[in-house]
Amino acid sequence: MADPLQKLLARTAGVDERLIGRFPALEGVALAAVGGYGRRELFPHSDIDLLFLAADDNVRAGLKEPLAPFLRELWDSGLRISQSVHTPAECAQFDSQNVELFISLLDHRFLTGDHSVYERLVLPKSRADLVSHLTRLTRERHAKFQNTIYHLEPHIKDGPGGLRDLQVIRWLHQLTGTAQNEDLAAARDFLFDLRSRMHEIARRDNNVLDFATQDQVDREDPSRLMRAYFRAARPLFRACGNLLEANETRSSGLLARFRDRTARLSNADFTGIRERVYFRSPQQALNNPALVERLFIFVARHGVPLAADTQDRLLARRPEMHTPWPVLREILSLPHVDLALREMNETRVLPAIFPEFEHVESLVVRDFYHRYTVDEHILVAIRTLAALKRKHETGFSNLIAEGLPQADRDTVVFLIERHLQMSAAMTSRDISDPAVANEMAKHMGTVERLKYLTLLTYADISAVNPEAMTTWRSTLLWNLYTSVYRALTSELDTGRLEARSYGSPEREYFLDGLPVRYLRTHSEEDIARHMEMSREEDAAVRLVREKDVFKMTVVASDRPFLFASIAGALASFGMNIVNAEAFGNRQGIVVDTFYFVDPLRTLELNPGEDAVLINTVRRTVRGDLKVETLLKRRPVKTPASQHMQFEPIVAVDNTASDTATLLEITAEDRPGLLYQIASSISASQCNIEVVLIDTRAHRALDVFYITRDGGKLPEPDAEVLAAQLKAALAG
Amino acid sequence: MKKIEAIIQPFKMDDVKQALIGIGIDGMTITEVRGHGRQKGHKEVYRGQEYTVDLLPKVRIEMVIADALLEKAVDTLSAAARTGKIGDGKIFVYDVAEAIRIRNGDRGEDAL
Repeated sequence: MADPLQKLLARTAGVDERLIGRFPALEGVALAAVGGYGRRELFPHSDIDLLFLAADDNVRAGLKEPLAPFLRELWDSGLRISQSVHTPAECAQFDSQNVELFISLLDHRFLTGDHSVYERLVLPKSRADLVSHLTRLTRERHAKFQNTIYHLEPHIKDGPGGLRDLQVIRWLHQLTGTAQNEDLAAARDFLFDLRSRMHEIARRDNNVLDFATQDQVDREDPSRLMRAYFRAARPLFRACGNLLEANETRSSGLLARFRDRTARLSNADFTGIRERVYFRSPQQALNNPALVERLFIFVARHGVPLAADTQDRLLARRPEMHTPWPVLREILSLPHVDLALREMNETRVLPAIFPEFEHVESLVVRDFYHRYTVDEHILVAIRTLAALKRKHETGFSNLIAEGLPQADRDTVVFLIERHLQMSAAMTSRDISDPAVANEMAKHMGTVERLKYLTLLTYADISAVNPEAMTTWRSTLLWNLYTSVYRALTSELDTGRLEARSYGSPEREYFLDGLPVRYLRTHSEEDIARHMEMSREEDAAVRLVREKDVFKMTVVASDRPFLFASIAGALASFGMNIVNAEAFGNRQGIVVDTFYFVDPLRTLELNPGEDAVLINTVRRTVRGDLKVETLLKRRPVKTPASQHMQFEPIVAVDNTASDTATLLEITAEDRPGLLYQIASSISASQCNIEVVLIDTRAHRALDVFYITRDGGKLPEPDAEVLAAQLKAALAG
Repeated sequence: MKKIEAIIQPFKMDDVKQALIGIGIDGMTITEVRGHGRQKGHKEVYRGQEYTVDLLPKVRIEMVIADALLEKAVDTLSAAARTGKIGDGKIFVYDVAEAIRIRNGDRGEDAL
C-alpha cells in the first residue's frame, strides 16, 4: 500500500497544476485553496474548495463574468468546484453567521493571481470566538451520532472518531497555540486510505461505510475491517473529546473553577480536577489492582470520567485484574455504572476481567434494526437501566445486591434466555387475552422476575437505536407487564407448598403450608424479612411508605378475627385500605399485608403517629384492645350523596377456585367496611385466604377467597353467609 | 381505484400483511398509531393505584388498490384481523380520484 498521505498530496498537486494553468489574469484578484484542498488532503471525489479573494467590493462586482468561463471549463473537465468570493476585509471580521467560512480559512493556501491581495488576507484577531463556536459545533455534530463511534454503518467523515475530529484536533491546537502531542498518525493513515477507497468504489463523495461498502472494501472479512475502523476511531474520538473539554473549561472561567465540585471529591487515592479523575500517585497505583478497582468504584459513584492521563497510564500498563464479584457487584449497584463500565472498556480493563467481552468487542451483527455494535448495545442497555434507576431509586437493585449465589445465577440465566420473550409477545400476541397472560405468568414464575425482565426488555429495546423505544412500544410493554402482573397476583393458586428443600430447616419450617402464591408474589428479601419477623415474641408489625401508598405487614400467630381486627384498627385511624392479602402456614403463622392510603394525611402531619398506629395494631392483634371501642371514637362519615346509595351485592362463586369459595362484594365504600365484612366472615368460622380490593367512585369491589376447615364451603352454607353479609352491609 | 385504511390490533399485523401479500397486494403503508374507538379508555388498577389507559396502541394499514380487488381485499383483511373481541379495529374505504407514478408519469391503475 502506498503511503495514503502521499497519494493525497500527489492528487492535490495535480489539481493545483490544472487550476493555475487555466486561471485568467485578473487585476486585484487572488485564487486561494481552502478547506480540505487547502490542507492538501484531496480525496478522489471531494469538493475542491476555492476562495476568490477580491481586493474590494468594486473588484468583486465585476468578477462574475470573467470567472464564469473558468469555472465552466473546470466543471466540464470533471472537477467538482465549490467556490466563494470574499474581500480581505470580510475575512478579517469574525461573523458568527458564517462560522464555516472562518473554519475553512484556517487552511488557506495561495494558488495563483494577485499575490498582493492574498498578502492582505489576515484572520480575525480574536481566536476565542472561533474556538467556542468550533467546540459547540463539534459537540452538536457528535450528538447527532449519539456520541458514540460504535455505529454499524458509521459516517467516517462526520461521525465521532471520523476525519472531521482529526481536523478539529488540529484546528484547536492551531487556534490556541498549543502543540499537538497526540499520536494519531496510524488512525489518520487508516482513515485516509479508507476514505480514498470508498470514494473510488462509489465514484462519488460517499463517506458512509454501509454494509455494501464494507463488503467491497474487505471482500474476505468485513468484520475485520470494522474492528480496524473502531480501533482507529477510538483514540481519535478520545483525543478530540479531551481537547474539547480542555477548551470548554478554559472558556468557562474562574467562577466555574471555583465551583469545581470534583475538587471536593478528592480523597487519599484520587484527585478530582475539573471534572476529571487523576491518581494521586500513579506509579504505585498501577502496581496495585485494588486501587484500580477503587478507581472504577469512584467513577461509578460520582459519575466523574477519567482524565486522559489516567486512561493513558492504564492503557500503557494494563494492570492484571482478578476482580472478585463483590467489587463488580458494588460497581453495578452504583448510580453511574454505565460510565464506569465504559471507562473499564476503553482502558481494556473490562476485557481483562471478562475475556468473553473480547468476542463482542466492536462486533457488527447486521440487520436493519440494530444501529450499534454488540458491545455498545450492551453498554447502552446498561445506561438505560442506570438512568431508570436514578429516576426511581427503588426497584431492581435487589438482583445485584444479593451476591451471586445459585439463586441469582439462575435468575441471570433466566433473563439471558428469555430476554426476547416479552418484546416478541408485545407485538405478536393478544396481550388482553387472559390465556396469553397466564401463559406468560407461568414462564415468569414470580413477580420479581417479571419486573427484571420488563426492565431488561425496556433497556434492550432502547439500546437498539435512539428511536426504537417509542411511546407506542412503551405502552405495549406496560400493558403486557400489567396483564402478566395481574395474572401472577390476582389469581389464587390455592396449591400449598409442601415441606421439601426450601433452603435451611428454618426456612422450610416457615414456608411449609403457605400458598404457592406467596412464593410467587414475594421476593427473597421479603421472605427473609417475614421469617425474621416470625421470630419475634410478640406480633411483629412493620410499616413502610411506598410512594403514595403505605404498606403494613403483620406477622403473628393466627387467631380468629385477626385480619378483621387489623382492618378495623387501620380504619379507626381513618386509613383507606386499597389492597390486602393474608397468608397462613401450617404452623399457624400468618403474614397479613395491607396497602392503604392516608386521605387525611394523619401520618404525614403528626410525627410519631406511625408509632402510635403500629402500637395500636399490635395491641388489637394481641386482643388487648377491642376494635369496636376504637371505631366508636371515629366519627361516622356520611356517604357522598344519599342518591348515590345502592344495594350491596354479594355473589358466591364456588367454581372459580379448586380449593376456596369466592365471595364477590360490591358495596358503598365507607370507613370500616373491610373490618365489617371480615368480622362477619370470621364470625361464621371461615378463614380468609386472600382479599383483593378495588375502590372506584365510592364503590368497593372486594373479592374474598375463603375456606372453612381447609376447604370450600358447601353451597348452602355459602349462600347463608352471603345473605348474612348482605343484611349486615345494608343495615 | 379505492383506498383502504384499516386500524387493527398490533399483534395481527403480520397475519394481515401475509394474507394481503397472498392475494397479490404488496404495496402498503404501515404506521404505529395510538387511539381509541368504542373500546375507549379503561381504568386499570396497579398495586392499588388507579390509572387510566386512554389511548391504546394500534397499527394502521393503508393501501390503494384496483376497484376489482376491493371485495377480496376487504374480506381477506377482516378475516385475518378478526379475533371476535372488542378492539379488533375498523376498515375504511375511500374513492381515489387519481394515482400518478412520479418516476414515469404512469396514471390510474397502471401507477399502482
